[in-house]
Order: sequence, then structure tokens, then C-alpha cells
Amino acid sequence: METSDLTDHISKRFNKDIEDLRNNVLAMGGLVESQLQKAIVAMVSGDSELGLKVANDDYKVNDFEVSIDEECGRILAMRAPAAGDLRLIVAIIKTITDLERIGDEAEKIGFLASRLAAMDRPADSYRELKTLGTHVLHMVRDAMNAFARLDVEGAFDVVREDERVDEEYEAIQRQCITFMMEDPRSIKRVMNVTWAARSLERIGDHAKNICEYVIYMVQGRDVRHTDLTDATDINPG
Amino acid sequence: MSESARKFIFGVALLLAAGALIGWYYDETLWGLLVAALLTLLWQIRQLLSFDRALKTDDFDNFRVGDGIWQQIFSRVQFERDRGKRRKDSYRQLLREIRKSTDAMPDGAVILDAENEIVSSNRAAKLLAGLKRKKDKGHRIDNILRDPKLTALLESGDLGMNVDIPSPVVDGRWLNCRVVPYGGEQKLLFLRDVTDRIRLSKMRRDFVANASHELRSPLTVINGYLDALADSGDLPAEWEKPVVQMRGQSLRMKQILNEMLELSRLESSGYASRDATVEIATLLDSVRNDFERPTVAADIVINVESPARLLGRAGEIESVIVNLLSNALRYTPPDGTVTLTWRETPTGAELIVTDTGDGIDSEHIPRLTERFFRADRGRSRDEGGIGLGLAIVKHVLARHNAELAISSELGRGSEFRCRFPADRVVAENP
Repeated sequence: METSDLTDHISKRFNKDIEDLRNNVLAMGGLVESQLQKAIVAMVSGDSELGLKVANDDYKVNDFEVSIDEECGRILAMRAPAAGDLRLIVAIIKTITDLERIGDEAEKIGFLASRLAAMDRPADSYRELKTLGTHVLHMVRDAMNAFARLDVEGAFDVVREDERVDEEYEAIQRQCITFMMEDPRSIKRVMNVTWAARSLERIGDHAKNICEYVIYMVQGRDVRHTDLTDATDINPG
Repeated sequence: MSESARKFIFGVALLLAAGALIGWYYDETLWGLLVAALLTLLWQIRQLLSFDRALKTDDFDNFRVGDGIWQQIFSRVQFERDRGKRRKDSYRQLLREIRKSTDAMPDGAVILDAENEIVSSNRAAKLLAGLKRKKDKGHRIDNILRDPKLTALLESGDLGMNVDIPSPVVDGRWLNCRVVPYGGEQKLLFLRDVTDRIRLSKMRRDFVANASHELRSPLTVINGYLDALADSGDLPAEWEKPVVQMRGQSLRMKQILNEMLELSRLESSGYASRDATVEIATLLDSVRNDFERPTVAADIVINVESPARLLGRAGEIESVIVNLLSNALRYTPPDGTVTLTWRETPTGAELIVTDTGDGIDSEHIPRLTERFFRADRGRSRDEGGIGLGLAIVKHVLARHNAELAISSELGRGSEFRCRFPADRVVAENP
């Protein structure tokens, strides 16, 4: 079992500390996933109340970040971890920053959803946002799955997926520009859609970052800003 | 001692004796004995080696030489081995059958140990929740299915509960998770696809909301004309009574529609926000003033024992008080009393409405909060009840994390107790 790498210390307390930390990160991930999912539903179904609820619940994600950060600091100070444990702590410190940002973007989308709910809705009721949103939600979910299972293959898949999200974002942007040129009265509404799409695209980037930390955590390799084909070539796993 | 063992000892002794005899004949008894002993040893070594080979290659027939105690050992070991293999095969077969049958179940089943780590899961768990049988073994379930509601359920340890979470595999589908204790420390997590149920209840809610909304506009028109007719004063005498009755009934219909809309709104929204505080004392006073009309005969006593305020929505709490109070007044004779009490308790705060009325038969109490439920079919309708009041009360309280407790005694009166949890109560004005 891969997790045995993490839980093999002489001190039982240390084992437990590290396990708890990991569980907390995953619980935070679960909260962020459900926030994002609700934000997308609010956007697509025009549910302003749900959108506002997502925006109001963001403080829970922030609380998680603060408490996990504190716990990481405590472990670094008290246990002085080395090798795999150190990588785990470093990866967690970075991961929660990205998770918190995803939470912020979900908050933004929830807020935009409540604002858009009050305006006219297009006939397709933001289908393109739904497609992009679902795609990004799956990326976040797969990133957290890769984190939970220490699954390098899965992490690489998510990193690759990010390019497709970027393409979809481009397409939505072009579509929005067309709408605005056709009907200047819709500019206000379409601007909001652009913002939401932008937020979703950013979430995709954050999910990609998390996967890079997972690869770093498991293999000790930094694959940020490298060509992906090179990275997979020297993949020992 | 068995027959073969006796034969073996006899054989060895005979060989040694023969060696000694031949040696004695040549006047070298010891040499003869030694040669015989060496021959015996060589034979035994050969048998031992071939036994070793037979054990290693599992091929007993080819290495069996001669006949005697060694062959007995060969046969016995071979027999035991075959029996072990047959037993193992049948267990494996049984296990395969069990796995096949759990895989055939439409619901996902996951066995969890005391730490919520996955021990095993079936195929449906993979299809519904993406759990991988081999890869996820030993991982904690709340690390893989990370929905906050499921995590809270597992943490609470309250194993009777169940939650609905969105499926992590298929978008738009919902899973119902239920945890039951199983074999000592272990737990069994059931995952069931409840998308249809959720879709259906949403459809019902939407239908009620839309239908009420659509019925309201034509009703407003009818109402307006009936008002005009009734007030015009030049109606023929024989039409006066029907028009007034029609107006009364259409107003009643409007009220029903409004309450149905209110109910469907309450049902589809989550918990009430905690941003605003509700001053219960002033609310009770204002509700009482609304009721103080000549038609009200029973006394209303207000009993505020605590200055505590409530976190929630004033409008909804007011509708709770109005509904409970009007219910109580309806069933209380003119010489009775209705008491409204607000007080703090160790677990939070309570709003209690007691009356000295007819009381409710205990068999009806569990059904009181159902829509349009009437304990006494004959009379309630004449007295103006609609049958949605307590359903609204129940939903408002649920939105405020509170619960409704009803107790009653026939002929003595009833008590409706709304218990609010401590985190909804603000004790004192800072």
C-alpha cells in the first residue's frame, strides 16, 4: 500500500498527526468541490438563493486553510520532518493555497449566478458555462482523487486536461464577443458570463497546480513549467 | 505401532543381521555390520531425496520407488495435499459466488473498519461512486468520497441517519448514503442511486408552486368582481347571499393558494440565515394585538421569561406564532385560556403554546403536521382552518434547526412546544 510510506514512523503520534493533516486537506477539498458544484448548479439553473449561499459559505473554506496552515507549521517546528514527510508538508502548504483560491473563485461564480438570475436568460441557459463548469469540476475532483490515492498517473491526466479547458474558455470568450457585437444591450449580462468563464478557467489552473504538487510529493520531481512529454518520459512509476 | 512401521524395523534389523552374519563368516563381524548399515543409510538417503523432489514438483507418482514405509508416507502426503487443494478450490469457488452475488446487487456496498478505512467494496460501488476495489483498499472512505455531508455523517457516529450526495462519477445523479454497524467494529456503507426520487420530489414541488401561482391570477379577477358586486348595493335580494358566500369562498381559496406557495418556498430553501435577530417579546405582543377582536373569546396570556433573542427570519417566526395561536383559539372554548411562553432552557430556548381546549386524540398527534390532515372531519372546515398551518410551522422550525413537540390530553388541552437549539439563541443584548 502506498500510504504505508506516509505512516511508517517510530512515533505513533507523528503518524497520527500526518494522517490527520492529510484527512483535513481532503475534507477541505471535499468542501471546495461541493461549493463549486453548487455554484455551477446555481449558475445554470438561475437559482439566486443557492448562489448567495455559496458566496456566504466561503468563510468555511478559509477557516480550513488557516487551521491546516497552523497545523503544518506546528509539525514543521516540532517534528522537523525529512524526505517524504517534508515533501508531503510542503505539498500540503501549497495545495491548500490553491484550494482556497478555488473556493474564492466558486464564491465569485455564486455571486455572479445570483446577479445573472435577476437578468434575462438566454435560450440555451448558459449551456457552454455548464459544459466548462462540469469539466473543471471533474478536474478538481480528479486532482483530489490523485492526492488521496497518491496517483501520479491520474495527476498527469489532469495536467493534460487543462489544455482542453483553456480551449473551451477561448471558445466561450469568442462567443461572448459575438453576442456583444450583435446586441450592445446584452453587454452587461455577457460581461458577467465572461467573468464566470474566467473564474472557471482559473479553477482549472489551480487544479493543475495541485496535481503538480501531488507529483512532487510522490516522486520528488518538480514538473512545473516543464514540457509535459519530457516529464512523462522520465516517469519512473 | 502400525503394520508398516513394524515391517520397516524388521527389515532394517534383518539387513543388519545379514551383514553381521556374512562378516562373522569371514571373521570380520564389525565390517559386515558397517557395510550393511551404510547400505541402509544410502537407501534411506535416496528415498529422502526423492521425497523432497516429489514435494517440490508435486509429482508423487514418478518419484515413488518400491514399497514400504516410505511409500505409505508418499501416499498419505499426496492424499492430504489433494484434499487441501480440493478444499481450497471449493472455498475459492464459494468466494467467487459470494462476490458475484454482491456484484450483482444494484446498490453499492462498502465494508469499512473502525477507522472508516475501506475493507472491500462491490462493483456497484465502483459504478456509482468510482471506488476501485484493489486500489482504494485501506484508504479512508471520506478521503475518496469527500462530500462534507458524508464526512459529517461518519464523524457524528449516528448510524441511523442517511444523506444524499451528488455522484462523483455521473453528473446530475444523486446517491443516498446509509451506514449500518456490521460485525463488531466494522461498518457497512450502502450507496443507492436516488436520482429519480430527488427528481420526482423536485417535480412535485415545482408543480405545486407553478399551479398555485397560475391559479392565483384568475382568482384575483373573480375576487375583484365579486367584491364589486357585493359592495354595489343594487343586487336583487335573492342574489345577495350567494354573492357574499362566493366572495368568502374565493377569499379562502386565495388563502389556500398563498399558503401552498409559502410551503413550497419553505420546502425548497435550506436553513434560515443567522444574520438577523428576532425579538420574540415584541413579536408575541404584536401577534396578540392582531388577534384582539371581538370574535376572540378565549383569553390570551403572554409569558416572557427571558430577554433572549432568536437568530432567524422574523416573518417566518411570526407565521409560526400566528398559526399556533389561531389553532389554539379555534379549539378553545370562550372561557378558556391560551398561554404563550418564551423561555430559555439548558439546551437552548422554547416557545410554548398551551391551551385549555378540547385536546387531541393521541392517535392523531403524529399526523397533525401532514398537509390537509384533519382530526375531526366534520367540524374543522366550518371554523376556518385550511389544514396547512402546522405543515408550515413544521417547515419553518426545520429551517431554524428547531423541532416541534406536541402533547395533549383529551378534554384538558394541548401543548405545542418549539425547541430552538442554543446556537440559534442570543442570550442578552451586549
